[in-house]
Amino acid sequence: MEQNRPITLLVCALGGEGGGVLTEWLVDIARHAGYAAQSTSIPGVAQRTGATTYYIEVFPVPLTQLAGRRPVFSLSPVPGALDAIVSSELLETARQIGNGMSAPLRTLVISSSGRIFTTAERMEPGDGRADAQRLVDVVKAFSREHHVFDMNAIARDTGTVVSAVMLGAIAGSGLFPFPREAYEHVVRGGDTSAPEKLGKMAAASLRGFAAAFDAVSAPRTQAAFVNSVMAGDTADAPPPARALPDELARRFPPAVHDMLALGHARVLDYQDAAYAAQYADRLGKLLDAERAADPAGAHGFAITREAARWLALWMAFDDIVRVAALKGRASRAQRVRQEVRATDEDIVKLYDHFKPGAAEFAALLPPALSRRVTAWDRGRQARGREPWALPLKVGSHSVLGMASLRLLSSLKWLRRRGSRFAEEQALIERWLAAVEAGTRESWALGHELALCGRLIKGYGSTNERGKHNLLHVIDALAANPALPAPARAEAIAAAREAALADEGGKALDAALVRHGAAPRPVVAQPIRWMKRPPSKAA
Amino acid sequence: MLRLGRGETFHGEGILAITKGLLQSGVAYVGGYQGAPVSHLLDVMVQGKTYMDELGVHVEACSNEASAAAMLGASIHYPLRGAVTWKSIVGTNVAADALSNLSSPGVTGGVLIVVGEDYGEGASVIQERTHAYALKSSMCLLDPRPDLGVMVRMVEEGFRLSETSNMPCLMELRIRTCHVRGSFECKDNIAPAVSTRALMTEPAGFDYMRLAHPPVTFRHEKLKGDARIPAARRYIVEHGLNELMPGKRHADLGIVVQGGLYNALIRSLQQQGLADAFGETDIPILVLNVTYPLVPEQVADFCIGKRAVLVVEEGQPEYIEQDIATLLRRRDIQTPLHGKDMLPAAGEYGVEVLSGGIGAFAAKYIGADAALSSAQAWLAGNRERREAVARQLTAPLPNRPPSFCIGCPERPVFSALKLAQQETGPVHIAADIGCHAFGTFEPFSMGHSILGYGMSLASRAGVAPMMNRRTLSIMGDGGFWHNGLLTGVQSALFNDDDAVLLIFKNGYTSATGTQDIISTPDDEVKERAVDKQQSLVDKNQTIEATLTGLGVKWMRTVTTYDVERMRKTLTEALTSDFNGLKVVIAEGECQLERQRRIKPWIAGLLKKGERVVRVKYGVDEDVCNGDHACIRLSGCPTLTLKDNPDPLKVDPVATVIDGCVGCGLCGANAHAATLCPSFYRAEVVQNPKWHERIVHSLRGAVVRALQPA
Repeated sequence: MEQNRPITLLVCALGGEGGGVLTEWLVDIARHAGYAAQSTSIPGVAQRTGATTYYIEVFPVPLTQLAGRRPVFSLSPVPGALDAIVSSELLETARQIGNGMSAPLRTLVISSSGRIFTTAERMEPGDGRADAQRLVDVVKAFSREHHVFDMNAIARDTGTVVSAVMLGAIAGSGLFPFPREAYEHVVRGGDTSAPEKLGKMAAASLRGFAAAFDAVSAPRTQAAFVNSVMAGDTADAPPPARALPDELARRFPPAVHDMLALGHARVLDYQDAAYAAQYADRLGKLLDAERAADPAGAHGFAITREAARWLALWMAFDDIVRVAALKGRASRAQRVRQEVRATDEDIVKLYDHFKPGAAEFAALLPPALSRRVTAWDRGRQARGREPWALPLKVGSHSVLGMASLRLLSSLKWLRRRGSRFAEEQALIERWLAAVEAGTRESWALGHELALCGRLIKGYGSTNERGKHNLLHVIDALAANPALPAPARAEAIAAAREAALADEGGKALDAALVRHGAAPRPVVAQPIRWMKRPPSKAA
Repeated sequence: MLRLGRGETFHGEGILAITKGLLQSGVAYVGGYQGAPVSHLLDVMVQGKTYMDELGVHVEACSNEASAAAMLGASIHYPLRGAVTWKSIVGTNVAADALSNLSSPGVTGGVLIVVGEDYGEGASVIQERTHAYALKSSMCLLDPRPDLGVMVRMVEEGFRLSETSNMPCLMELRIRTCHVRGSFECKDNIAPAVSTRALMTEPAGFDYMRLAHPPVTFRHEKLKGDARIPAARRYIVEHGLNELMPGKRHADLGIVVQGGLYNALIRSLQQQGLADAFGETDIPILVLNVTYPLVPEQVADFCIGKRAVLVVEEGQPEYIEQDIATLLRRRDIQTPLHGKDMLPAAGEYGVEVLSGGIGAFAAKYIGADAALSSAQAWLAGNRERREAVARQLTAPLPNRPPSFCIGCPERPVFSALKLAQQETGPVHIAADIGCHAFGTFEPFSMGHSILGYGMSLASRAGVAPMMNRRTLSIMGDGGFWHNGLLTGVQSALFNDDDAVLLIFKNGYTSATGTQDIISTPDDEVKERAVDKQQSLVDKNQTIEATLTGLGVKWMRTVTTYDVERMRKTLTEALTSDFNGLKVVIAEGECQLERQRRIKPWIAGLLKKGERVVRVKYGVDEDVCNGDHACIRLSGCPTLTLKDNPDPLKVDPVATVIDGCVGCGLCGANAHAATLCPSFYRAEVVQNPKWHERIVHSLRGAVVRALQPA
């Protein structure tokens, strides 16, 4: 460390993470250790979960050796002149590096690998999350030395807040000329009693401090610790793949087996063996088309593989019967207990929010009856009333609630005879026909159309919107004779990405127009008109 | 910490040091209106009421900056030292009328106005300079070097300067200066001679000269130029308020800098090899701890004989540089003057920005050397690295603006407003200052204009008559009391306007740090509440009573978390046949304040082994459709994403993470907007009663028998 300039540290955190406490600790530690130090911050309204930073400078020579001279500290971080950046969130680390803060020859970067997604990332209908690997690559490329580990997991595991973990990381890095005890003293709040006699909060902070200290000072222990933290969390592990019936294994190439097995099992669980057989037959037709388009299997049967995924999800479309079945499972009750961190002694009362409308009930009725229900609901709306719906809060921990869920989930047989089932089958056939025709024309075109199965998801208006978008892509782009097949494939890919980007479909319409297709027709939206007449001359 | 005496050392934040400085100066009364970065000054004084009473200092939490400035009128006649504080530029704008009327007659007791110069990184208001007010009203402007010792000394000198010159003194403190942590050697606090403990017996005699009223205002104007400013200049020089730092190597150059920018300047010079870590500089520096009035002789002496002088002055227009240029021209001093020709006109002067200007200055007058080229390489390196990172990231990173807290009562109102507009069509929304301004960010992105604190209703007065559909004005209770009641409500009623006003009644001025206002639920009510978790703002009806008294005929109060009812009420207000002012009061207590009450209460109950019900919402991962419509209607930080556990699906599913306070919005939205049925509400009963346990185990046995695996 150079002796003629201050040691500089930038701390990045989100509002409410205790960054203010952290800087207070650091300044206190420096003071008690006999060094000149200064911190600044810009709290403002960033206290409300926005991104914020704190800045600390410490002069590396003890005050007693400065002969009464006092260093002049900078109030703001100087890009390219930082000794360290410590950050509790990966994207914020990358942001500060992008601001030019980190100098590859000078700056040590210690960042949490944890992501706290921004609203913009969370609100996209598809997957709007920033690529974490890309962020880590930026940290690696623009730092002298880096440590990236999950600070939030350590904080959670040790029962403390992330500021204590960050302090441990700073101490462990050896950035400042203070001994470990100096840090621990301030975390204890000056309490010098034995660890078992410390207050609960201080003890937890010390644990978090120690874990991060070790993570940074001894990277091997870090890996072991992170693994142990992760080991407790198996809820997200994928279920083991189901065995594929021999007959299907023979009919389909190995490249699609895993997806086919999952899809087949899903459809079987959703309805019955006959429906699962229909799934295999539908997929078989696409396989034939793909074999014709790509006899050598050079593309690894990607069309059939992707179709196996999206066809299964579409055939197992979500309806009230399906939802009731999923919510009624014992494994689900167990999962919820874990999610809400209930101990064995606690009682968990579980309520589910449902709001089925006329459409959801009509879906289970035969077409003629269903039409009458739908017509009645439209009539209601035409009279200026809201669509009919039944808001329900079902206590699925109660006998009556669970009995209702089980009763509803036993109505599988009704689903098959219902109007929605017929409608979905017709739409599925339209999509499959388009994929098949596209595949026979050009493999790439078929592949893009198969991937468009992703547009179909969810319930109610989300589901309607997805279907509307898919049909428009099929009608306006797939069979557009004005464009050659590769151009159409490209246009469909662009439209699909755009459709997943925003709810209103502005991006989709723009993509359609860019590729020479018509935007989607405007759907009539009834609004309550407020007549505010212009004023008249008296 | 405010009680520290002589020989003791203060360690803490800048704004707290200023507060201590006020007490060391024998201040008699303190007022102000909260706002970052100076909220803390008033907050600690209000909290330290007992000690203030001991000293005889009066502390007033004013209803806005105008009332704070008017309070300074006490120092016109009486030998009372007074200090007020607010966020500038906005607060100074509001206070401007009273400040003019204070400056004209001038003051007897010292007056110090501590303004938080909310400028640059971290600022939340329009970017303008307070300097203009000092110029137009002839008030001294202090801009102390950000060293706690100097800052405190300037507080003390500020009062004396004010008394010597009869001018009120402004002290501008930048954001980081308010939040800098440092130390200084304390003095004893001084109890004011006239105070709440030592009262005056008689009012001052009648003296027309003390009124801001013609004809004496003409005399006042003359006095400013003839007597007051010269007196101030004498004091500044005699007491060395501005600091001259001699330069070792380049005495023929000079830099004039605003005190507040001194540290950044030194670091910038250090980067260029022109200063050391202790501030020993090669180029002489004139540090202006008082930026208005300048002392012409002092500046002229500094400039004479120099090859060039650089003025380092933040913001625009460059008042100081112009002032110096004029005084040099008048004295026919030919020293070349630089400033905004080398430094950018707009934006905060951080070290890197300053280095660009210093580099240009040094290149022109010192010439290339090793240190200078190293600095150039550093600046070029920063530029190249930024481009390289941008290339590697391929797309810009999403912003992370502040947002509503977890469980905030205001978020559900924007959910309802989004839904209501699906029925009524989009409406013009006049937004306002306050937490509710976060509604302008994603996922809501609502609001057409912000015209100032409490101005929303007034700001639609020209739009509404021109529009076929009704407009909506949004105001917080903070803004309502600060200004909105008079500028908005009164005006709309008087003009029989067809207007819709939505008031967020959360009980506090929350964006400024949850200070109490007149509609805050009483401490006694909080004390008495059996269930500490409930919102208590409905216990204070001041807003409702005021509006009724003023003659508002259409008023609805709705609990914010009831999204469905809020949606219906908003739709009704926007479409009703009633053509006057319609007020919707969205009632829900600030969640920050509630949690401050709830957390210790729950901890206490658990410690005693008593029954506690904790509510958390969650999402069934296999039911969630991965469309995130729920997030677009909420934006709650705890409603986020995780990888889809279903290997067939690719889009991430919604999930509720730890930190959820169980406000109920997820469930209310699921119902009001007909979202997917994946939300559940879990009530975790800790320490259940014995009969509860029996019922639960019996019920559990039956439920388990019904459940498949």
